[in-house]
Amino acid sequence: MPSPERRSGTKTARASERLRRLLVIVPYLVRHPGTEIAEISRLFGVTEEELTSDLNLLFVSGLPPYGPGDLIGVDIADGRVWIDMADYFDRPLRLTRAEALALYLRGTALAGTPGLREATALVSALRKLGERLGPEALGELAQRVEAAEGSRPAETLDAIRGAARDRERLLIEYYSASSAETSTREIDPEEAFVAIGNWYVVAWDHRSGEERLFRVDRIKSVRATGRRFRARGLAGLGRPLYTPTESDVPVRLLLHAGARWVAEYYEILGSTRRENGDLEVVMPASRLEWVARLVLRLSGEAEVMGPPQLKERVRDLAVRTRKRYERSSSIDVEVTKPPRGRGRYRSCHDHDPDDMPPLRGSGHGTRIDPAVGDAGRT
Amino acid sequence: MHPLERLVDLVALLLDSARPLTFDEIRGRMEEAYGQEDVASAKRMFERDKDILRDVGVPVEVVATDVWEVEHGYVIPKEKYYLPEVNFTPEEISALFVAARSGAEDDAAEHAVRKLLYGAEGGLLTGGSARAPFAEAGLVDARLTAAAEAVAEQRSVRFGYRTARGDESERHVDPWGLVFRGGHWYLVGMDRERGDVRAFRFSRLSTVPVPADEAGAPPPGFRAADHVQVGPFGPGEAEEHALVALSPEVAWWATKDLSGVATERTRPDGWIEMTVPAAPGEGLASWILSFGPDAEALEPVSLREEVVRRLEAILAEP
Repeated sequence: MPSPERRSGTKTARASERLRRLLVIVPYLVRHPGTEIAEISRLFGVTEEELTSDLNLLFVSGLPPYGPGDLIGVDIADGRVWIDMADYFDRPLRLTRAEALALYLRGTALAGTPGLREATALVSALRKLGERLGPEALGELAQRVEAAEGSRPAETLDAIRGAARDRERLLIEYYSASSAETSTREIDPEEAFVAIGNWYVVAWDHRSGEERLFRVDRIKSVRATGRRFRARGLAGLGRPLYTPTESDVPVRLLLHAGARWVAEYYEILGSTRRENGDLEVVMPASRLEWVARLVLRLSGEAEVMGPPQLKERVRDLAVRTRKRYERSSSIDVEVTKPPRGRGRYRSCHDHDPDDMPPLRGSGHGTRIDPAVGDAGRT
Repeated sequence: MHPLERLVDLVALLLDSARPLTFDEIRGRMEEAYGQEDVASAKRMFERDKDILRDVGVPVEVVATDVWEVEHGYVIPKEKYYLPEVNFTPEEISALFVAARSGAEDDAAEHAVRKLLYGAEGGLLTGGSARAPFAEAGLVDARLTAAAEAVAEQRSVRFGYRTARGDESERHVDPWGLVFRGGHWYLVGMDRERGDVRAFRFSRLSTVPVPADEAGAPPPGFRAADHVQVGPFGPGEAEEHALVALSPEVAWWATKDLSGVATERTRPDGWIEMTVPAAPGEGLASWILSFGPDAEALEPVSLREEVVRRLEAILAEP
């Protein structure tokens, strides 16, 4: 005769989930007697009904064969819980290695995020984990994981987060990477969040009368207006950073090996690999300025395939940039030898340059340039 | 008897016992659970229960109970079961909660914090509902977890890697460290075939790392983060400095994320001259070109020449 469990796999699965929960909740209650059911439910992510049903089962459990004093005592009164006679459950189960690693890695990443209020407490909590959890949990990992010193948080971050919390309209000066221009505008900031190492704020932009995403470290100044706004429920954390718009122009670039990172750094619509390894990509752009600057930066490693306006734009940009160098007569390009070769320098370094991300300090230091500022429509 | 009740009793029994208990002994103590007449079916149920316990992380061990190793008994060693005493301030435990909930859903990290809640002194600040302002979905994925395990256990790893240039190859690496920088995780270690220290960005790993033999140890004083550096020059060590001028439009933010930058002077036209670290290679010229007419390379002359040469090349195109 098949056992009831075999007929019901979900029942077993539920039992293991409930066991996992109980082995953590019971020690907590032993240590924190009289905790409210509502509090337990919140802390342990379990509904009050589930919790009550778990505790009722616990009531008939204990140390077999249940001699006097071997049954766990559960007392529920006034929405609070007391547990006794559960000496063997007076401390929780250890962290599994997977749990310890998952928490430690997430904690390290979060602590490495610039401008985070919780960072100090997080760092000391991680140190305690590394010291106390024991070698079987984290092994060598605690000594071998770190967050490299990242960018400093923008001075404007606190003001932005405060205004988002208090629903206060701000007057900001903003440098838009997509247009390479600074503008002043009034915004209603709704939520600040971090993505790919940078802070963003989603806001209603009164200048365009539309929703916009702003990179916080490109906000030059912030002034309070003293006016409050009603939140429009703009999507914040977890939203796609690039939002396509109807005015997007598809831009076609041919990327040689040294520019291939562009395809994984920026949003692309499609790509074709050529036989020689070159990559032809189509990228969306509602403004051409940032693409022109990107092409300038990639000079020699990327070619513009279209549209023709972009070619003109790049050319125009190169002319204007070249002018900066005219005041000095010391430069004779014709006789200049090609500068230091790539290969020579690559071999004398510890790192493979290929393994590095593109520069974040530049105007194109974000994967989503097209969406930042003027192009970020929804 | 409800399966949960049976499981709780089994944990209590094996945890409380001073010596390993054979299946027959367990059956005798837990008659309601395993006392049915068909011993084989009772044993099967017990085996399934044991698997569930292990799944949940309960260290059920099987040991011989006689010197001839004929009989086997089961036990949960207390020192392997109980969480060591770790106390946290409300701020610390709240921060761990926020971390566990950052990015994609991760049950493992949340289970971890819930166990640690036990040692929380005086409750939680945020009530355990705060979330991190952090959107990196899949930040801690199978590739990172597998590499972390290899680091923890000091095993070398094999994995497929695709460089930014698009070259794909199999790597065999002694993992010496994991570094989080600028929103990305990197594995730093000795690339055995290349005989050199390399940094690998996890998003470019094309396969989940597989543990291999014992890993070699890093040299004394090794710092993984030193090998994941980004400057205005791209990767590399700064060897000298360059002088650049930046327009007021970009000067205030362009060098924010860089170290070793010094402002030399502000010109009457508002342009700012700065010295920046310069590493060999073409990265610095690329960085300067990315600002278009908002930046100018001043010194050394070789840098100016490089920028101009590249501009000329663009202008020479048909």
